Amino acid sequence: MSGQAAATPTGTLAEAVRRALGMVIDPELGENVVDLGLIYDVVIADGGVALIQMTTTTRGCPASGYLEEAVREAARAVPAVSRVEVFMTYEPKWTPDMMNDEARRNLGLTGRRRL
Amino acid sequence: MNGAALSRWTMAYFAAAFGLLIVAEALMACGYGFPAVAVEAPETLVLVHVTAIGWLSLLMCGALFQFVPVLVGQPLRGRRLVLPALLCLLAGLACLLAGFLSLSGVVEIGFPVLGCAAVLLAVGFALVATALARTLWSARRTGLPMPARFVAVGLACLAAAVLLGAVFALTFAGLLPTTDVVGWGLPAHAVAGFGGWLTFTAVGVSYRLLPMFMLAPETERATTRLAWWSGGVALFLAVLAAPAERALSGSDTSLAIAGLLGCVALACYGADLVFFYRRRKRRAIELNSRSAVGAFACLCLTAVLAVAMAVMGEAARHVGALVFLAAYGWLGGLGLSQLYKIVPFLTWLECYGPVMGRKPTPRVQDLVVERRDGPWFILYFAAVLGGAAALLAGRPELFRLAAVAMLTATAAIGLELVLARRLFNVAREKRLPEGTVRPHLFFAAQR
Repeated sequence: MSGQAAATPTGTLAEAVRRALGMVIDPELGENVVDLGLIYDVVIADGGVALIQMTTTTRGCPASGYLEEAVREAARAVPAVSRVEVFMTYEPKWTPDMMNDEARRNLGLTGRRRL
Repeated sequence: MNGAALSRWTMAYFAAAFGLLIVAEALMACGYGFPAVAVEAPETLVLVHVTAIGWLSLLMCGALFQFVPVLVGQPLRGRRLVLPALLCLLAGLACLLAGFLSLSGVVEIGFPVLGCAAVLLAVGFALVATALARTLWSARRTGLPMPARFVAVGLACLAAAVLLGAVFALTFAGLLPTTDVVGWGLPAHAVAGFGGWLTFTAVGVSYRLLPMFMLAPETERATTRLAWWSGGVALFLAVLAAPAERALSGSDTSLAIAGLLGCVALACYGADLVFFYRRRKRRAIELNSRSAVGAFACLCLTAVLAVAMAVMGEAARHVGALVFLAAYGWLGGLGLSQLYKIVPFLTWLECYGPVMGRKPTPRVQDLVVERRDGPWFILYFAAVLGGAAALLAGRPELFRLAAVAMLTATAAIGLELVLARRLFNVAREKRLPEGTVRPHLFFAAQR
């Protein structure tokens, strides 16, 4: 694993990790954690260690533990990642403005207001 | 893990609450209790307590065990108390109902069953309050967020309501000397229960859940603080000062001031609700947030009617209709609408949470079919409004018809919740990926 990591540019590997995290869905909003902007940072350290800084839509959410574990598992499945460390943070606090356009569109954040 | 985990017995509380809601609605449909008999008749007391303790309080307890940790970002303290509390509350309610049936002359019971009810319900609610209060207390260093402060006041009101209720039960059982305790304490008991424990707590939880579900700004507003202060003082006056004033001087000044402050609190809450709905980022909101509007409208209508009738001196005559509208339109309507979100959400977490990130999973929204279920909520709220109108018009036969419609809508919503819990609406190929287990109906598996 670490041999592969050394051969893979860390920027590319970080991108691969982000793509893998696209499989993790926030259960409340039904969109993946990357599009929602819940993944604050992905850094690949020496030896293929993925350091992921993330948050949840609301502090104390019952899904927090599951999301953290899911992010760890999804990142670990990426070839060339030897180990994953996930840091849960609420600084800065997540806001809907952190979503990308696709998540906004899917959640109806654009368009007409409907009750 | 930061904050909350799945509450193991919340589903059991919900299931018991829902079952007792069906019982209450079936009793009303059969013409049992008010309006066929007087508001204070034992048959009406059966109906009121199946509703207040069986449906609304069990629902509230189950929800709080799951969401107080979310409000304060701390795990639930005293998890072991949750199941014993449920058993005590169910046994206590059974004794209470048996006691009322005994008072109505339907059955003869050879021991002071109301005394048992007082002890069991007091113990049950004390266990609930202990777990929740300890959880709130654990967050004191960072300061309690405003929604949690509403819950704290609600718990204090629960203590007052239970204490007064226990005194009434022990008096009826002949275990305390007969006094006019019911005369001076009954309004305080009802206000502490419906106004403090159920309404104030529901308001607090909604301050957190509504912005969360609709992606509305969660900033603490001046109106929110004013709602808490005015509502809290109103409850203090109505529950503690008003009975003392009435006993000492026979006047009701405290109660009138409490009423005014209660109106201020409700107006502030209404302003906050409008703010949440208007400023929400999520334009197309889910069925739970849409149907909750019906509950808020019922709360507003109850308040307007109560004020109008108080001004006209008709409040005492129509108290049954007002309590019905508040219990089934506001509290019950809010409960049903939020159950429609909470049950699928907790079911999803329990079933798919452990494989999230490793297997493709359905969305929470895939567990329900909103288009199919929306009409049941419309029927429910229409039936509640029709029932309240029938009570105000003195038409018991129309009230029973409305109760049948409520029962039909409730049963349909209940069936949908069971289907959600059993993953029935999820496409078969996505339903149970490897590593998942179909959740049990009545409790969450321990992780």
